[in-house]
Amino acid sequence: MIPKTSTPAARALVVCGAALSLVSPFLAWTWTSRYPGNLTVYGYPGGSQLLTLAGALLAAVFTAAVLGVPGLRALAPAGAVRALRAASLAALTATWITVGAIAVDLGGVVNVEPGGWLAAGAVLLLAAGAHALPDDTVTEPPPAARLPRAAEGALITVVFLAAMYVLTYGITTDSAQDFLAFLPAAGFGVRALAAAGLTARFGALTARNRIAVAVAALASALVFPFTQTGDQYTAIADNILVFAAVALGLNIVVGLVGLLDLGYVAFLGTGAYTAALVSGSTFSTFDIGPWPFWATALLGMGVSLVAGLVIGAPTLRLHGDYLAIVTLGFGEIFRITVNNLDGTSGPRLTNGPNGINSVPNLTVFGFDLGTRHTLLGVTFGRFANYYLLLLAVIAVIVFVYARAGNSRIGRAWIALREDEKAATAMGIEGFRYKLLAFGLGASLAGLAGTVMAHLQTNAVPENYKFADTAPPNSAFLLAAVVLGGMGTVSGPLVGAALLYLIPAKFAFFSQYQMMLFGLALILMMRFRPEGLVPDRRHRLEFHDEQVAAAEARRTAAEATA
Amino acid sequence: MTATDVLQLLADGLVLGTMYGLIAVGYTMVYGILQIINFAHGEIYMLGGFGALFVYAWVPGLRAVSLWLALPVLLVAAVVVSVAAAVAAERFAYRPLRGAPRLAPLITAIGLSLFLQQVVFNFFTLPGGSVGVTAPVPFPQLPGEPLHLGGVTLSHAALLTLVVAALAMVVLTWFVARTRTGRAMQATAQDPKTARLMGIDTDRVIVVAFAIGALLAAVACVTQGLRLGTISYNMGFIAGLKGFTAAVLGGIGNIKGAMLGGVVLGVAEALASGLLPHLPALHMFGGSVWKDVWAFVILIVVLLIRPQGLLGERIADRA
Amino acid sequence: MHRLIADAPDARPRSGRSRSLALAAPLLAGSLVLSACGTRDDGSGDDGGQEATTVTIGFDAPLSKDLAAVGLGMRNSAQLAVKQANKNELVPGVTFELAAKDDQATPNIGQQNAAAFVADTSVIGVVGAYNSSVSAAMQSTLHDATMVQVSGANTAATLTQGARYKTDPQREYDNYFRTISTDAVAAPVMAEYFFKDLRIKKIATVDDKKTYGTGIVENFTEAYEKLGGKVAVHQSINPDESDYAAVVNSVKSSGAQGVFYGGEYPQAGPLKKQLVAAGFDGPMGGGDAVKDDQLIPLAGGKSADGVCAHSDGAPVDSLDSAKSFVADYKAAGYSEGYGVFGAYVYDATTALMKAVGAAVEANDGKVGDIAQLRPKVVDAMQKVAFDGATGKVGFDAYGDSVNQVISVNCVQDGAWKNGVKIVTVK
Repeated sequence: MIPKTSTPAARALVVCGAALSLVSPFLAWTWTSRYPGNLTVYGYPGGSQLLTLAGALLAAVFTAAVLGVPGLRALAPAGAVRALRAASLAALTATWITVGAIAVDLGGVVNVEPGGWLAAGAVLLLAAGAHALPDDTVTEPPPAARLPRAAEGALITVVFLAAMYVLTYGITTDSAQDFLAFLPAAGFGVRALAAAGLTARFGALTARNRIAVAVAALASALVFPFTQTGDQYTAIADNILVFAAVALGLNIVVGLVGLLDLGYVAFLGTGAYTAALVSGSTFSTFDIGPWPFWATALLGMGVSLVAGLVIGAPTLRLHGDYLAIVTLGFGEIFRITVNNLDGTSGPRLTNGPNGINSVPNLTVFGFDLGTRHTLLGVTFGRFANYYLLLLAVIAVIVFVYARAGNSRIGRAWIALREDEKAATAMGIEGFRYKLLAFGLGASLAGLAGTVMAHLQTNAVPENYKFADTAPPNSAFLLAAVVLGGMGTVSGPLVGAALLYLIPAKFAFFSQYQMMLFGLALILMMRFRPEGLVPDRRHRLEFHDEQVAAAEARRTAAEATA
Repeated sequence: MTATDVLQLLADGLVLGTMYGLIAVGYTMVYGILQIINFAHGEIYMLGGFGALFVYAWVPGLRAVSLWLALPVLLVAAVVVSVAAAVAAERFAYRPLRGAPRLAPLITAIGLSLFLQQVVFNFFTLPGGSVGVTAPVPFPQLPGEPLHLGGVTLSHAALLTLVVAALAMVVLTWFVARTRTGRAMQATAQDPKTARLMGIDTDRVIVVAFAIGALLAAVACVTQGLRLGTISYNMGFIAGLKGFTAAVLGGIGNIKGAMLGGVVLGVAEALASGLLPHLPALHMFGGSVWKDVWAFVILIVVLLIRPQGLLGERIADRA
Repeated sequence: MHRLIADAPDARPRSGRSRSLALAAPLLAGSLVLSACGTRDDGSGDDGGQEATTVTIGFDAPLSKDLAAVGLGMRNSAQLAVKQANKNELVPGVTFELAAKDDQATPNIGQQNAAAFVADTSVIGVVGAYNSSVSAAMQSTLHDATMVQVSGANTAATLTQGARYKTDPQREYDNYFRTISTDAVAAPVMAEYFFKDLRIKKIATVDDKKTYGTGIVENFTEAYEKLGGKVAVHQSINPDESDYAAVVNSVKSSGAQGVFYGGEYPQAGPLKKQLVAAGFDGPMGGGDAVKDDQLIPLAGGKSADGVCAHSDGAPVDSLDSAKSFVADYKAAGYSEGYGVFGAYVYDATTALMKAVGAAVEANDGKVGDIAQLRPKVVDAMQKVAFDGATGKVGFDAYGDSVNQVISVNCVQDGAWKNGVKIVTVK
């Protein structure tokens, strides 16, 4: 802990640090353009300097709030100092990681130009000052003023676009150093907004404007392909979307009903194989197809649904832990079976290890997804076409999830998850509701699988393992749900994006990737089991003691007041 | 398919099954007391083999003597490594999660399993070799010709597996029924809260359960290495899965049931891979590639007909 | 530098790349406006003012996980080819660079890498992948961009000749080539060696239920039965396990005189060891993935005797080009061995660079726009012919290797003896 200085000195430090931090990205940090992003230019920022700038801007705003600049105090309803601290840490981590990476990459600190030193010093001043300020957290922030409906909608759209911008930065940065600086900067940035009470406000705002949220989310996701010319990053985005779609489906089973499914990837595989078989591929063992997409999708969902019911019916009556092991076994059975059905060690259906290759591109409403289309002056390549289709798939899944989750069925699911005995005693037929969830989850994964087979142009057994270094596999899917936050919509999306991007960007330690993944799961369960975007109920469940203590403090404070 | 061939199949299945049984005991004891699936138990098993191999490769002089003489050293090394890993896992990964929802320790276990596997994959080094093991590594072999018992061939290592398993079951049964710690374990499994009130150090009992499971798993892995000639960093995944299946089959929480479940599973797998291809109706679904499928089908059928397992008496439902 | 900064409309003409997230402008308004005030060099590193034009060769293989050793050996071999081409000025005025990507043996990552290579306008063609399933996922993406894909490790006949390669071969992707022979060429040589030279009339076949293993066993069986041999029993092992007792028993009781194993050395070694331990001492055949020095310790030294596996081309010690490859590889001091596929990848990389040379020459010695050059390189690739580390390198109408020389190598007295038999097919 930094010793408490008197407040005026701390304020001076903060102002000074923030000002210098804002200036530093406009200077050269190193002398050679060999460092990714070209940080050699005086006059305007580039590469990782943008991260420092963003952190510094955020810090400057909260500094102004701390200083009581009129009008800006409202930007930190829950207290500006903790927000300022988090923002300063965002700037600090981004800057120090970048300066450190310059020194390491280019072989020594002599490669850091004065601008880099200034930046490193400035963010340190900023962080020191921010941490020396006394806390001004407000436990009961004043209620937000209601804006006109249109303004609220506009605000929601702007926030979603901003979030999409941050995500796009993460997807399209092609240097590991930049991504390494990006992760903590984004993390602390979000924490700053949360500490300021802005995320809570935004939460209230979204709760009032469900439809605006859906429209804004879809619109900002649609912006992504318009910002891309090549297919390089849309290919990554496609893979993230497939992964996220399946994770969302799994979230119904694990997050809402609390059934641990360790073989979920098998339903994705069922959908993919079904689609490949009726795709008209020359490798297919059926001489049928190509079917139109709606028929393929329905068939894929149907076959996965049947698989889900077949595996669910005998096992869902059992105790929860048995279900985990039986689903794990089923996942393995699926992979082994499709690997065996090649005509020599089983009936000929899936071509065994060779899989079904050369799956042709989909045609949706007359659009061949394999060819380029021009829309509003933008050329959409193959991967961008699939991006749009996958977005539609995700929209369907989110819609189903939201409808089911907020209905009578959803409440029954949550009741079963929380206390099965009590729920059964209240007249909920546990088995039927569980089977419904299991079947629904399976068919949604099947839907994602049908698109995946066409996107990837093949269906092969090795994609459907329990654990592997690359998503989707059952362990990664479960981790995406748990990491993101069970029982929420945005949780699995965030989890899937992170779990996909982190291994993809840090290729240099791919050898240690699985080891760190395992370690991350252990630490996550130890320190933040509710996930990054927690469901309120889950947070209470995992942190009941802390929450109880906070409640007690609040009651005591109210009593003294 | 002659009668001798079938006997050979049964013998191989028995050896494989007792090996599964040794792993299953660890699952069953931990589950019986804590109601958590220690998914990382398969990796604890794998670590035993690599611990033994490490000592064998790096301690000078061990390779000069007959493997029969070096074997006790190898077993001790295996047990030390496995028990240390299991106790550490209990202390630092599982204990902080007591009282958390059931999902938490299970996910921790999956993480632990991947972590331990990858530590060996990335860092295990043999003299003169590069760092890490990507392929199976050779394990020392017991000298001498295999035994022929009426047309059935059994290697020394296979016999060793059977002897060790029998011995382990006798000692374990005595330990649980007769010693103070063993009775404390029973009491804790019955009702942890009351056991604690009665003065039993339940934390210690849990550590002992983890340690005993690890000990048997380590021995199982050494016999497996001796029998097959290689060990690999990912051998724990399937072995662990089979061990758990065996534990459920026999009735989870029941030590004798674990061994019985293992033997049933082992024999069933041997018959599925050896006998099934000769049956007219099911020959398409026989052979080594289908045996894991049959193992799980048997598990599901047993769970449907007799959810408490072959020797289980009740379903522990304390969720 | 990431390209999502909104340009002020009057600062620069709108290039394709900068059609950006203009809607996000309010978010980082300050930085965005300022960043558009000037021009900044691209920063991708190719503006160093060299005399020669840099052309990048994409490379894709598993560089992590279990297959890392194989993949890194392949990458080093490609690197070596690039280095030597630059040193010898294989294409005057062009400096080659290798951009290696890890596919983790996963099809969707391979496809994503292919998309990245297509988008990178300095990449002319791609060498890879290792797994046939990964190559299959990459083919269509590279085909859409008419970029060469050349593999030094894919042996599945379907990649070049389509699903019905036996009855009605069709080349679906005219941009795909390989320097390694398919199973359909190599496996008959092994069948003949076992049937005629070793006089094994009754054999057991075992595969690992993977693409490579099942493919080579299928082709071996066909050729062996055509010669008059009898396959006594066919079995599959699970490559994730090392207990092959069931397979060993059925091989033993089938009365087979030998075994043919389709798979890779990590399983071939233990299988041979367990066969010998059970008292079966017939010879064991395999494909080129079995021919690895690591096989011998895995099979327990002495019990490795009698393993025979093929390799493409004449043995290393009888071919000057091969000898110099091995010597150069050693001199380069790579920490991983070049492995089974190093020489094929070395030839594949060289073939691609020679095709670039031919295309540049036809283009009046200029590289020009690489996207325009890519289709010309595909055409030039079809006509490449030279002597490489594995012998004659060139491609037939399907993109398959024209190298017709297959060597049979066997383990004798605990060491590989190369070129026990050398066959020129047809």
